[in-house]
Amino acid sequence: MAGIVVVGEVGAGGLRPVSWEALAAGRAVAEALGEPLVGLIMGSGVDEEARTFGAGLDRLLVADQPELDMLTAETATAVLAAAIRDVEPSVVLMPGTTLGRDYAPRLAARLGVPCAADCIDFAVEDGALVAVRPVLGGRVQSVVRFTGEGPWLATVRPGSFEQAQTASDASPAPEAVAVELSADDLRVSVRETVEKQAGPTNLTAAKVVVSGGRGLKEPDNFRLVEDLARVLDGAVGATRAVVDAGWRPHHEQIGQTGVTVSPRLYVAVGVSGAVQHNVGMHGSDYVVAINRDPDAPIFKIAAFGIVGDAFEVVPAIIEALEAGRG
Amino acid sequence: MHIVVLIKQVPDMNAVRIDKGTGRAVLSDQRVISSYDAYAIEEALRLKERHGGEVTIISAGPPSVKDALTRALAMGADRAVLVQLADVHELDTLAVARVLAEQIRQIPYDLVLAGQSSDDYESGQVPPHVAELLNLPMVSSVMGLEIEGERLILRRDVEDGSQTVEAPMPALLMAITGLNEPRYPSLKGIMAAKKKPLDLVEASPVEPSRLSWTEPEAPERTTSGVIVQDLPAAEAAQQLVGWLREQKLVS
Repeated sequence: MAGIVVVGEVGAGGLRPVSWEALAAGRAVAEALGEPLVGLIMGSGVDEEARTFGAGLDRLLVADQPELDMLTAETATAVLAAAIRDVEPSVVLMPGTTLGRDYAPRLAARLGVPCAADCIDFAVEDGALVAVRPVLGGRVQSVVRFTGEGPWLATVRPGSFEQAQTASDASPAPEAVAVELSADDLRVSVRETVEKQAGPTNLTAAKVVVSGGRGLKEPDNFRLVEDLARVLDGAVGATRAVVDAGWRPHHEQIGQTGVTVSPRLYVAVGVSGAVQHNVGMHGSDYVVAINRDPDAPIFKIAAFGIVGDAFEVVPAIIEALEAGRG
Repeated sequence: MHIVVLIKQVPDMNAVRIDKGTGRAVLSDQRVISSYDAYAIEEALRLKERHGGEVTIISAGPPSVKDALTRALAMGADRAVLVQLADVHELDTLAVARVLAEQIRQIPYDLVLAGQSSDDYESGQVPPHVAELLNLPMVSSVMGLEIEGERLILRRDVEDGSQTVEAPMPALLMAITGLNEPRYPSLKGIMAAKKKPLDLVEASPVEPSRLSWTEPEAPERTTSGVIVQDLPAAEAAQQLVGWLREQKLVS
């Protein structure tokens, strides 16, 4: 067994950024194990993306055929199983996207090998892969250790790694992965994908986003967030917890199952900062957090944090902002 | 239509505390049905109400899981199976999936429903493992479900937008927020649940886990940001507004 396979993912806008994160993670693992780094791209008409992804890698595998245009858990599993049979890698890193998190565990069960989901860090200890993954809402982490026969599989959580820089080196000659798709592999078919529309608040394009979480205690208290957003000329966002509780509409939800925002200023009010929230706003330039709990994970990513009662602090901020404007 | 629903009992995640001394997570004794799994139960009950059939709930874990299964029966499920495992977290996801798949094999089914991921360990791996072990097509992140003839028409949320997917039956589906609003058990349902079958079975085959993990701990704080603590609200607000102006984030 030799090689670290890193799977890139091609989305509506080309290679997804997590592909480069997975590549950065894979490169570190390849160096630690002293094994070659192998890229894999699958889809239909993905030649260009494959070459971009393959630059500077030791090998590049490409599965490019019409049936792979809209990948499903089943077709992607078939591609990966075929590639693994050819390459016999020791580790396979996959993007922690909706698709990746569907096919990685499916593949693990087909091969009878271990798979760790949603990893934010990797290391090699005594020749074994070790992965860190957030659990229990993201406030704590667990270190997962792989044992036994490989390949060892893992999905990489988007937003957890620096994106690998495209090397200037030429791409290795693409090697075609021969995939025979069975009738079973084609049982699920994608009828259509309707691209996301920005919500009425145009959250995704906003320069300033003020979001509220459970810390606001009651739906009516969300007016604090609305008031602050008004003064800052920003859009209103919400965490999954308050959307689930029915306080706010789904289109305001920021995070893994909602929208991703990357404003210049992101103000989190009563938001604990669970990983599924943070993945939706980690591209923000400046994060301000107001929370009563000094241990809230949001403070780890905040450029400015106030430990205090939002019901006192937010009105004081609004007052100070308005006073400054005369 | 025979529907199997896989559920997990988890500690209430709203009550997780971090022990300041050890950095370890302290979990609540309050145990609940993992939130996405409740959507799976609700959807199964709605399908049964529309198309007839039977809903079987399967879970693995210690005796306390009977509470979660009883609640699902009170919501309207017909029968429940508890695969007895002292601690499901001693097994990796694939070992748990093998145990669950073995139970599903023993009953007829048209659909297997599960939640997108559990509230506690959030790996979302057990349902795809089960789909593979049973050679079922699977669709995750399901927010809408229709049946057209013999086909399932599913609406799901993915990175690029809203996707419509078609699948045959039997299939395994993973439910997410937006699919439905889970019902509360009625008093009548709670009474009826006491007479419904809840079978305890031995876990088999328990195969060795290939992953081991440490007890969850809080990561070290790595912030380089300014944190203002123990200040009156007005003063903290002044400092923030000063900082916002320095960074030219407000005029």
